[in-house]
Amino acid sequence: MNRGSWTIEVHGLTKVFDSVAAVTDLDFTVSPGTVTAFLGPNGAGKTTTMRMLLGLVTPTSGRATIGGLRYAELPRPAATVGAVLDTSGFHPDHTARDHLGVYARLGGFARSRVDEVMDLTGVTPFAGRTTRTLSTGMRRRLHLATALLGDPRVLLLDEPGNGLDPEGIAWLRGFLRRFAAEDRTVLISSHVLSEVEQSAERVVVIDRGRLIAAGAVADLYGEAAVRVRSPQAGSLIAVLLTAHGGAVRVTDLGPDTVRVHGLTTAAIAADAAAHGIPLHEITPERPTLEQAFLHLTGHDQGDVS
Amino acid sequence: MTVPISPRALVSAELRRLAATRLRLWGSLAAIGSGGFVGVLALIGPENFDPPLPGLETAPGVRVVLGLLGLCAFVPALLGTTAVASEYRHRTLTTTALFAPRRWTMLAAKLAAYAIAGLAYGLIAVTVAGAALAGTAAVKGVALGLPTATVLALLARIAVTMAVYTLVGVAVGALIPNQVAAAAILGAYFYMIETALLLIPGVKELYPYLPGGATAALTGFTYLADALAEQTGGGAASLLSAPLGATVLLGYAVVAAVIAVVVPLRRDIT
Repeated sequence: MNRGSWTIEVHGLTKVFDSVAAVTDLDFTVSPGTVTAFLGPNGAGKTTTMRMLLGLVTPTSGRATIGGLRYAELPRPAATVGAVLDTSGFHPDHTARDHLGVYARLGGFARSRVDEVMDLTGVTPFAGRTTRTLSTGMRRRLHLATALLGDPRVLLLDEPGNGLDPEGIAWLRGFLRRFAAEDRTVLISSHVLSEVEQSAERVVVIDRGRLIAAGAVADLYGEAAVRVRSPQAGSLIAVLLTAHGGAVRVTDLGPDTVRVHGLTTAAIAADAAAHGIPLHEITPERPTLEQAFLHLTGHDQGDVS
Repeated sequence: MTVPISPRALVSAELRRLAATRLRLWGSLAAIGSGGFVGVLALIGPENFDPPLPGLETAPGVRVVLGLLGLCAFVPALLGTTAVASEYRHRTLTTTALFAPRRWTMLAAKLAAYAIAGLAYGLIAVTVAGAALAGTAAVKGVALGLPTATVLALLARIAVTMAVYTLVGVAVGALIPNQVAAAAILGAYFYMIETALLLIPGVKELYPYLPGGATAALTGFTYLADALAEQTGGGAASLLSAPLGATVLLGYAVVAAVIAVVVPLRRDIT
């Protein structure tokens, strides 16, 4: 049974809480088959946007839809969308298995799903423990298991890395990739970039409730460059500009250090050798996503709110 | 394949949610305790109450003892307030709302599940009470002042009262999600506010339709109404029939539930 591909669409989405704008005129699309990271500093409006997608918060204006429908319009929402929100809890008297049993019934899912999702998420070893005794990492897994009960085509996770140990994060990364590879749609919010850098192919960046950037992770990095240090930096620049013309851009970083855009380390080293110019350093530079993110959100200029 | 979730699945989920908590143990103990309370009262004997009342061998004596069991109906009402409040308290409301986004279906399922639980509570309480009453009468060597059929009918009415009160509790708890506040308001109403209201001239005419009056009609326990009539002078207001009393009480539960559904609909879950 192919239950299709579901696209998340956000159009002109705005939420004002008591005259404070949490989200303003947001537009983005999340396509199936990829893991999309929803990035932004704390308080940027990520959770509010996710809650609007899930029908928990009513938008002031605009639309947030999954497969063209608002969450509450989905015939069996939990069978289409699985979601884990940061603020969710468990009844402390319930065992992990009780909790899953309640929600399997609430969603109208087969009993066998409880064991399946427990195996899938590693909950089985602590299935019989009451939730009040579970560690943060175990609670994270149980939340994910709950979200997967309906074998959803869309997964929305709010800060999924919080409280997971490195092993758990690696496991989650692999899980999300396999999930997306089945043409399912994954949106994970995060303020920790390193987490997302390795798992997401696409990003949506917001800050102060507004869209900053959306696209492939690779596009966000910006242009690669090479840092070169040489006692004859001036001669090197002249050689490179003569040989490659307009393809090359050079920035001065110091008396004998330059940053060269538009050439590979190999090309620069070959030209230097051909003209007998000694190099004391030649390093490829790739801006980290962190730098790109800070640049995009303007928080590298000391105006972190 | 988009089969909508059946109401039965929702109710069964709520029953399972309830059954897996300690409330099941405490609820059962409270029900047994309420029934046992009747045994203690019967053992002491109404003739030894302060002020003394007719003994168990008389019809009023048996009615008083059973009526006091009816007064214990506020306990399942308090337990009922936890239905929605615990979802707020343990922050499971978000997950529940994701699985059952239409909030009235969620509340309706809780009402149905708690009706079953409340009836179970009532049946435990009246079974223990009935056994205690019969046992005490046998031990004391007196015949109960009411025919067995009448006693059983009164016990059944009390069990229904407890089930209805559980629903009132669920509805009030949905309206006032703070568990302590909901319990305090319920308790204050039944023990103080309604009695105070009756002192206002004219309000007494409404008594049959107030929760206390409807409860008296349902349990057949008019001691409070009679005492009040005595204190305030006028004659006792005539109570509704038992089924009408139950309907009025259910009406209060429905009104509270409807308000509870309509109000949170406008409330964001954050």
